Amino acid sequence: MPCFSAALRPSIAVARTAALALAFAPSRARAQDQPPRTEPVEIVVTGSRGSTRAPAAQSTVVEADQFAGEVRSVAEMLSASPGVSVHALGGPGQATTLSLRGASADQSLILLDGIPLHGPGGGAVDLATLPAALLDRMVISRGVLGAQFGAGALGGVVELVPARPRADRARGEARLVAGSFGTLGANGSAAFGGAGESSGLFAVQLDRTNGAFPYEQQLTPEVGGSPYYEFTRENADAWRGATLLRGSTPIAGDAELDVLFQGSLGERGIPGPATSPTPRSREVDRSGVLGARLRTPAGPALLSARAWGDLSWIGLRGVSAAGADCTDGDPDCPRSRQSTGAVRGEVEVESPIGDAHRVRASVAGGVDRTSGDATGFHRRNVFAAALSDDFRIGRLALFPAVRADAVGSDFGVSPAIAATLRPWNAPVELRAGAGLSFRSPSFSELYVRQGGLAPNPDLAPERARSVDAGVTFRGRQLTLSAGAFASWYHDLIVYELFPPAAVKPFNVGAARIVGIELQAVAALPLGLTAELAYTALEATNTRPGTLEGHSLPYRPPHRLFVRVAHHSDRFESFAEANATASMPRNQFDTAFLPAQLLVNAGAGTRIAGSLWIDVEAKNLLDDRTMQDLFQYPLPGLSVAAIARMRL
Amino acid sequence: MNRARIVALLCLAACGHGLTPPKPLEHIALPAGSQLDPYDASHPGEARPLYTALVGTVVYASLGNLNPNTFIPAGPGFLAGIDPISGKVDLINLGGADRHQCVNPGVIRQDAQKIYVACGGDFSGTVAGGQAVVEVDLTSRALTRAAAAPEGVVPSGVAVTARKIWFGDSVTPQLLSVDRATFTLADGAGAGQPAIALPCPTTGKFPFVPYVGIVAGDLYALCATTEAGVLARFDAQTGAPKGSVAVGAQPTQFAATGDGRIAVVNSNDNTLTLVTPGTTLSAQLALTFKSPTATLQDVKARNRFVFTVASGSNTVQKIDLSAPGGPKVVAEANTGLNSNPFNLEPLDDDTVVVVNWATSDVVAPKLTTVQ
Repeated sequence: MPCFSAALRPSIAVARTAALALAFAPSRARAQDQPPRTEPVEIVVTGSRGSTRAPAAQSTVVEADQFAGEVRSVAEMLSASPGVSVHALGGPGQATTLSLRGASADQSLILLDGIPLHGPGGGAVDLATLPAALLDRMVISRGVLGAQFGAGALGGVVELVPARPRADRARGEARLVAGSFGTLGANGSAAFGGAGESSGLFAVQLDRTNGAFPYEQQLTPEVGGSPYYEFTRENADAWRGATLLRGSTPIAGDAELDVLFQGSLGERGIPGPATSPTPRSREVDRSGVLGARLRTPAGPALLSARAWGDLSWIGLRGVSAAGADCTDGDPDCPRSRQSTGAVRGEVEVESPIGDAHRVRASVAGGVDRTSGDATGFHRRNVFAAALSDDFRIGRLALFPAVRADAVGSDFGVSPAIAATLRPWNAPVELRAGAGLSFRSPSFSELYVRQGGLAPNPDLAPERARSVDAGVTFRGRQLTLSAGAFASWYHDLIVYELFPPAAVKPFNVGAARIVGIELQAVAALPLGLTAELAYTALEATNTRPGTLEGHSLPYRPPHRLFVRVAHHSDRFESFAEANATASMPRNQFDTAFLPAQLLVNAGAGTRIAGSLWIDVEAKNLLDDRTMQDLFQYPLPGLSVAAIARMRL
Repeated sequence: MNRARIVALLCLAACGHGLTPPKPLEHIALPAGSQLDPYDASHPGEARPLYTALVGTVVYASLGNLNPNTFIPAGPGFLAGIDPISGKVDLINLGGADRHQCVNPGVIRQDAQKIYVACGGDFSGTVAGGQAVVEVDLTSRALTRAAAAPEGVVPSGVAVTARKIWFGDSVTPQLLSVDRATFTLADGAGAGQPAIALPCPTTGKFPFVPYVGIVAGDLYALCATTEAGVLARFDAQTGAPKGSVAVGAQPTQFAATGDGRIAVVNSNDNTLTLVTPGTTLSAQLALTFKSPTATLQDVKARNRFVFTVASGSNTVQKIDLSAPGGPKVVAEANTGLNSNPFNLEPLDDDTVVVVNWATSDVVAPKLTTVQ
């Protein structure tokens, strides 16, 4: 990650290799604590804040505290990164999923402090259930990364790094938000201790919205120029509470024990598509992650042992067996429940070998389970063994890795290799990588039987391979990163019509996705920072037959994010635009989601002491016709006021 | 011409050659589930209209009789005779003596005073029986004959000839027939009388027959997969194949147009295909719908227009096949949020009657004309 001066530091930055990083890792401080600097900024490699498991992957670090004066969900912060496409089923608090490099939401891992999270039935994680205010940063690593992160990382990995107590961090923070559509939020944290002693952090986040935003749609879309009519979104309210407990303490010798718990609970309406609203359907969810890790040096090596478990529970009310809405409490409208959980134990050893190698080896094992009305009870054992090396020869660094995963009866080996090269003394780095991995079918795909969904316990894993290459220039005022990738997917799980009236998953899909990712971060005069992220994507269906050669739906061929921000001791402001090209909505290239332009802006000032007041506006163009997945409307103009302070 | 006749002609001209025809009611509610002979009186279903046929001025619609939450049949299938002008709805119970002879009725065909119905049964397997082709006598307004489908066959689509009632299969791409005289299975009755296999797309999985019909004396049948579709032609008496042509993805229904072609709607790729019959069949893409979730279910033809139903966007369209530059949507109507329209009948070039599956009603929406 290039580290700009505090005043100019961008909210996103390009992650760099750990091998190069360790020697240059700077101390960081919160932007709002430091006066603006006017001298040229030094861009320093700080890979330790990037991914430690995939140090040479093309990745982006999103610093959560850069958005302290803004209202940002996890999905909104992630959308500032190249290679990321976020899809939402409506406005704030509604289900949101992530696509990395055109892969499906199921094909990307989301880790909380290294712990893989699971959605209901073991599938995609709903980003709206993740508390943004409890995070320190997010690391988005792109590519087939099964060798580094395990089975399932076909599009890439998002590592959520929860807030941690720091020696330089004040002991208490509080933040209040009030905005359009009855949106209210509060979060705060308290921390104690610091480096070299016991420390702890407790944080809590509460949010609610009534979600009743106006939107517009055509009632006769086949008639050119037909009018748009205004509607108000119903049953789109949501509330959520989340907490984070984190503590660490030195124990015997240099060993350290740290414990993490994050819990979240919420409820929301499920409003349904604009053409078929579902005013009675509700969803409640609970989730928790608990982990403990012991780290101790053993000679030159570092030994780590870890145990963790996670549980997510989701309940549907007012949702009929056929997926339509119904009245909760009716005899034929039973509530349904689904829970998914996992427990793991993991041991890892990291050790230098000679001057050139740093080897890491790990083994992990545990159990995944699911239980629910739709799937019944199922469990499967999981086991993994991984080996990786950081190997340097002069200006060349090699990162070979291999991992074997056994997921139930599925077994696969995921090899990968990446390399970085600094061929000149100039601040230019070349990198390239390749990987091969698989994704085991989720419990839902194997066993869910509900309404028109039929199970297929004979599903095989999906497989993918990818290659990528890139170049990064890190100047004093400018960081530029450009990369290209190609991925091939086989045996993709696709839901097919299963006559007479059901759909069932089969391993019949194949795809090729190629793309270009560009990112730039620049320090401008007047204390401004500019960021740009651009992604070009060509996602092609390669399944033999009629669909061959057509585009995969819901993959935007172009996406551009531009942001200019300013932060000083007393004032801060930002303006950003997120442009998404028109994208296909079906597999035949005969239906398209229109291009969208979202413009947001905000400004704030430090009123007194550490008290900041900010105001922001989203969708400044007040485009009320925007929709996302499956004809779910998105909100028009919304405004919010944010107050935050140190305690 | 004497003065009186001239005055009469002028009066006729001024009055539009007669009385203005009555307009259909904008909304007609279908009968409540308690009137649909529920299997369990304490748990009646709801009328879920699917396919329609226009007989004189009456719109006949097949009614699923489904639990509104589980969509499991809560009673026998019904046929509703709907007078769109008065709003009167006559119900004909298709269940027969055991109330299970026809469950989940689908496509209906009229021939003189008879209507033939393909009944699909309960897709969930909860309710036994009900897969059949049945005959309804419109004079007596009663179920007269029923022929149960062979084991494993789910009837879909029905086509009527002088000697046979043809029907398709929603599970296997094949055509079967019922002898019209004896009302027993003919084609598909057994090894000696096999069903007629359909040519189907080579791509996609699980080909099935969504619709069959008679056009210009020939039997036509659709074979659909999720990726593609085929319209196949057969001799209407023997079932001998007479060619086929590819259409769009997962076709749902077709209709003979006024200019001798066949219009096919394709639900998965939102397209309308026009097939020209001849020695061989040829097809051309006529129109791609703008709405991303059109989910086309029905097409009916009248003069130079075809009328389509897009259940996903809750709309119906009027398409001018003779428009300059090719077929074009010239008018459209919305049937209401969450209505899921399924079939329509044009009463004239500017008036349609639509049955809504989800809201269990019949509407005559005002068509908005393209300026």
